[in-house]
Amino acid sequence: MRRSIAVLRVPWVLTVLTLGLFAFAGSAIADGGRQVRYVGIHPIPKSEGGGICYIEGPHVHIYTADKIQYRDHRGSNYFVGDPVAYGYDGKRYAYKGHHPIHVNAVVGDEDPDDEYCYINGPHYHYFAPPEGPEFKVSGDAYFYVGEPPHAYVEARPAMMKINAMYQPLTYERPVVTVDAPVGWIGARAEFVGPGVVVEGPRGAVVAPRAGVTVEGYIPAPSVHVDVGIGVPGVIVHDRGPAVIVHDRPVIIEERVKVKHDNGLHRGHH
Amino acid sequence: MRRIVLISMLSLVACGKGDGDKGAGGARDAVINAWKAEKLTVSPLIPAPVAFAKDCQSGTVEGVEVLLCNFASPDEAKKAVDQGYTWVGGATGTSEAHGAALVVLVDRKKTDPNGRTINRLMKLAPK
Repeated sequence: MRRSIAVLRVPWVLTVLTLGLFAFAGSAIADGGRQVRYVGIHPIPKSEGGGICYIEGPHVHIYTADKIQYRDHRGSNYFVGDPVAYGYDGKRYAYKGHHPIHVNAVVGDEDPDDEYCYINGPHYHYFAPPEGPEFKVSGDAYFYVGEPPHAYVEARPAMMKINAMYQPLTYERPVVTVDAPVGWIGARAEFVGPGVVVEGPRGAVVAPRAGVTVEGYIPAPSVHVDVGIGVPGVIVHDRGPAVIVHDRPVIIEERVKVKHDNGLHRGHH
Repeated sequence: MRRIVLISMLSLVACGKGDGDKGAGGARDAVINAWKAEKLTVSPLIPAPVAFAKDCQSGTVEGVEVLLCNFASPDEAKKAVDQGYTWVGGATGTSEAHGAALVVLVDRKKTDPNGRTINRLMKLAPK
């Protein structure tokens, strides 16, 4: 049964304020202006001007990093979140669901370090994964199909908090509407959130372009995204009306099948 | 006898050049030339006394403060990277070895708030 959903259209200004609030829930100027080490691209705290720091190599700032969006890479803070949420405007790669990040390959050093991204659903990073069997590309998005190691499973309960930080953020997320490849981590029962069964998406990835508006509709369990792309509309039917694209404003609706959880309604992907 | 002395002196001069030395200014000149080749604004560099190196110069490039030190070898430059951060102090900055040069960049005046200039300068500096 489909629920009625309250639509939250978040104004741009409010979005920016929200970004600031969630950007660094734990971040502050380091004690006594001491140096804090970073490596790779990362957001800048609102208190320091906001936006993105585009320094790819090792560097220092005098503000700290939170423990949810950053991992330690040999003493430096490495950002594992979605930089587009903070205004990143460079080359980007679409991913769906959780996946490993081979930090040494991204930052170009010789210290092997595998970290994990726990962002549910479609999101961006500024790097593509290395070629190999652990990722499959479908509809221009990367899906992790490897075997998650113990380190991923162990840190999952704590690191899943990153989704609470990103859920209220409205930005140009990739719209991934393809069938997930076999073995995708997001379709494996042991890695699906409590009480929620996610039906594989369909269609194709739509990367919002300049001038495109994407509005998130937050209430669970439905996922509902508006994308105004200013082109003649088409209707796509793929195994039933799971993906519906209308003429202006274009609406892409992705329905999620939900197993009832005895009234708890805990989370969604 | 005079010929032997001359040859010896020339040999000493030749041996004095380290692996990373690239001309009179050494590896530092290679970095500066790479920046100038991209038409970046490089201020005159002046000698900069620092505790961790003997041959350093400082100035600005595109408004970002820079410290460039020559070392006898790339290994020595690499060992000085951490000490380069002492020159950064309480600001956004970076320290990297590029060949036998130590390149330290600091945005003390916040002219590069998103780090794009620092990133570009480090990418242009020859390894």
